[in-house]
Amino acid sequence: MKPSTISLTAKAKYYCAAGATILIALAVAGLFVGKYPLSLEKLLAGDPMHWRVFLTLRLSRTVVGVVGGFALGVAGFVYQTVFRNPLASPDIIGVSSGASAGAAAGILFLSGSMAVTVSAFAGALLAVVFALALSGLDRSGKNSTIVLAGIAVHSLAQTALMCLKLTADPERELASIEYWIMGSLNGISVYSIGGNLILCVVCLGILFLLHRQVILLSAEEGEARMLGVNVGALRLAVLLVATLVVASVVSLSGLISFVGLLAPHGARLLTKHNRIGTMLLSGLTGSVLLCGADILARSVAATELPVSIFTSILGAPFLIFLIVRGRKQL
Amino acid sequence: MSYLSVNAVTAGYGRQNVIERISFDLESGHLMGIIGANGSGKTTLLKALCGILPHGGTCSLEGAVLENLSARQMARLVSYIPQRSGIAIDISALDVVLMGFNPYLGLLEHPTRKMKEAAMEALTRVGLAGKEETNYLHLSEGQKQLCILARTLVSDSRLLLLDEPESALDFRYRHQMLSLLRSWVAAGNRSAVVTLHDPALALNFCDRLLLLADGGVLGIIEPKTDPLDKMEQMLNHVYGDISLQRCYNRRGEEQIVMLREDAL
Amino acid sequence: MKKLISLLLVLTMLLTLAACGQTGKNEEVTPAATEAAAPETEAAVPETEAALPETEAPVTHYPVTVTDHAGREVVIEEEPQKLVSGYYISTSLLIALDLDEKLVGIEAKANKRAIYALAAPELIDLPNVGTAKEFDLEGCAALEPDLVILPIKLKGAVETLEGLGIDVLLVNPENQELLTGMIHMIAAATNTEEKAAALLGFTMEQETMLRAAMSGAETPSVYLAGNSSLLSTAGNAMYQSDMIRLAGGANVAAEIEDTYWVEIDYEQLLTWNPDYIILASDATYTVEDVLADPNLADCAAVVNGNVYQLPNKAEAWDSPVPSGILGALWLANVLHGDLLTDADCADRIDEYYETFYDFTYSES
Repeated sequence: MKPSTISLTAKAKYYCAAGATILIALAVAGLFVGKYPLSLEKLLAGDPMHWRVFLTLRLSRTVVGVVGGFALGVAGFVYQTVFRNPLASPDIIGVSSGASAGAAAGILFLSGSMAVTVSAFAGALLAVVFALALSGLDRSGKNSTIVLAGIAVHSLAQTALMCLKLTADPERELASIEYWIMGSLNGISVYSIGGNLILCVVCLGILFLLHRQVILLSAEEGEARMLGVNVGALRLAVLLVATLVVASVVSLSGLISFVGLLAPHGARLLTKHNRIGTMLLSGLTGSVLLCGADILARSVAATELPVSIFTSILGAPFLIFLIVRGRKQL
Repeated sequence: MSYLSVNAVTAGYGRQNVIERISFDLESGHLMGIIGANGSGKTTLLKALCGILPHGGTCSLEGAVLENLSARQMARLVSYIPQRSGIAIDISALDVVLMGFNPYLGLLEHPTRKMKEAAMEALTRVGLAGKEETNYLHLSEGQKQLCILARTLVSDSRLLLLDEPESALDFRYRHQMLSLLRSWVAAGNRSAVVTLHDPALALNFCDRLLLLADGGVLGIIEPKTDPLDKMEQMLNHVYGDISLQRCYNRRGEEQIVMLREDAL
Repeated sequence: MKKLISLLLVLTMLLTLAACGQTGKNEEVTPAATEAAAPETEAAVPETEAALPETEAPVTHYPVTVTDHAGREVVIEEEPQKLVSGYYISTSLLIALDLDEKLVGIEAKANKRAIYALAAPELIDLPNVGTAKEFDLEGCAALEPDLVILPIKLKGAVETLEGLGIDVLLVNPENQELLTGMIHMIAAATNTEEKAAALLGFTMEQETMLRAAMSGAETPSVYLAGNSSLLSTAGNAMYQSDMIRLAGGANVAAEIEDTYWVEIDYEQLLTWNPDYIILASDATYTVEDVLADPNLADCAAVVNGNVYQLPNKAEAWDSPVPSGILGALWLANVLHGDLLTDADCADRIDEYYETFYDFTYSES
């Protein structure tokens, strides 16, 4: 995935290397932290039970942490760039709320192990397609129209979610919905992640290939057009791909707050640039954040805690540190 | 057949037309200035010409009807510099200039080394040498304009549309920018249309001046050949009671200056 | 301002009580009682001659004062003839106490409760007064009930209902002790103490039997999977944990002290490696799902096929309902089929429903 055609500035390279190192360390730590007492000795001795736990559960959970965090970071970068809004996050065009409503519908009306994942994914996609179609009604094709349509769809999805919650049985379905919305990587195993992971990686690849276009979209509509960018179609494509990335992660894990917002900010504050290196660093920051948060989520208490708690706890001070540091440098 | 021919262009926002049936021609190698009071439709005309704004009427460049071109074909022929660039993210000046190569790059292609060298050269030409790695957002407004000009220069289009490029520039940069434009126009089969606030600047640098008032063409001035009193008369409609004088600098080069004649 | 008013109310009440004096009753003014803020009913009842019901034969002499789970003292002037129950647990109890005839309104979604269809199908068509989330105050008032029993979550409705002259009891049967308390409370208020004693006696009897039968038996490890997902479970402090213990099993999640369902991960479950996996009554997934879950292929319970779901034919026995003891009986039969045989277990369950609900469980 690491593009070699574009040279990163030395600074971005340095930060990416640092990020990658921390990530590798965290991922390795993640492989050996968990409720099942895995030991290297037993693994080396070829204990089948240990290997199975390691391969089906521990490894896939770690992989989802790495790829999912990376995906949320990169998607956040894309959203913020395309919408030219530092506060843009997947929710701005209704991805998260669509996924929540979809998941709730899945919990209430469908059965089967992949039902919730599939319907969360469908919900996210439906919300975004709906938002983009709505924004297409205004032929001027402004960014602000998409944001407005997104807000409308977001509140529609929230309403749908509320209705679904209202019909849910408080003892079981409502609890499931709430847990899903809080987000956790606890149910992940090698059997459930294949499709999502492939889709996510492919879409990430596309986003990286299109990174120059993503930056071009950050110019004003007219300006981008005069640079030869087919703004409407390109923006639609980029947003859809970014949405697929988010949907493929979120439908596995439930909502994970803060990563998509924070990672790109962190990356930009560090590199002070918007190049492919910044996009890469956004992803790495997201990975580090999610991996770290997941390790804490599964080890702090006797039970599983929602991973969002820790992404926020870890992320907020980091962001504040970067902002304060930025001030000092000015 | 003229190089650029604008025929009965009508455009506006919503249902309100800001400009009505504007027509003019421009020859290759010429720099045309558009002047007019605030709200006379200068920016609207430029946006209609480059196709950002839906409009009636047609524009053709060397016989090609611009309205029929794709964004990519259009970008190769026509460049547009807005009053303020909409770039609002941290990005280096060099990267901004490299955006100019987009019409020549495939969706997944990246600028080549040669393009980078050309971009550096363009930055040097507009006077931003050494600012390649500077954050575009940290440049002054004037430097931003110059940077965008450099971006336009590398895209090597046939028609350049500039919206008040001098507004954020100080005296020296203004003249530098306009002479840059003139030499660019003269260097090949191309032309430029530029809206200007400063009539003196327009009179001294442009080959033709389109005078706009209330969304229509008030008249066309050819500063090099028209007599001063005819020009004064027309400019009176826009700027009130003024007079024009021909002055000469120490090298004996002629410059037109505009003086106020009404009592303050 | 609010504080001032409640302070004044407390003072008024204390004075009233002091004036009445020598009631012999242990009138405790808990903070909850002041919170309930319905001074007219309490202050306007100077008669305190109500004898305590526990003296002799379990017959209620009205007016009677009962303390509900919010700590409120509620004076009931005469035997209530029209009842509303806004909670399925109290509704089920009312059936067991033979009071279903007196019910005029119940909680929403009554058609989803199997026990109503089996024991008192007429309840399903009663007007519903809403759920714990959305209580229908006006609808409830329109039924003109004498006594309304609500879950403690709905305490916001109390003031209004009391203002309309309707007695309200708030119940919170979240564990065995509170459930027993609730049974006593409602029985005292509705003059059904005899029936209640029989009901509680049945539970006591079964408990004693189970303790005796299971003493000395091995305790296989049990993982209780919650309603919402396979990976949610009940820790030591929960009702469900007591049920497992009583049935002669050991809750693998006993180390967890949370008082509500908690989430775990597959690794934790594999580490515990339970002998049995028991699914809650209302689980949204099935025994087949668990047996087919590839992540659990190595788990002892799955390997040995020891995955069961608590029955939900009549009621969810894994929650604090009057019939909760049946869950322990059923589980004891699953874990220790030799100590409590299938037939014995079925007989006891039948006995319960025949005695208190007038239908035969095994034939329904």
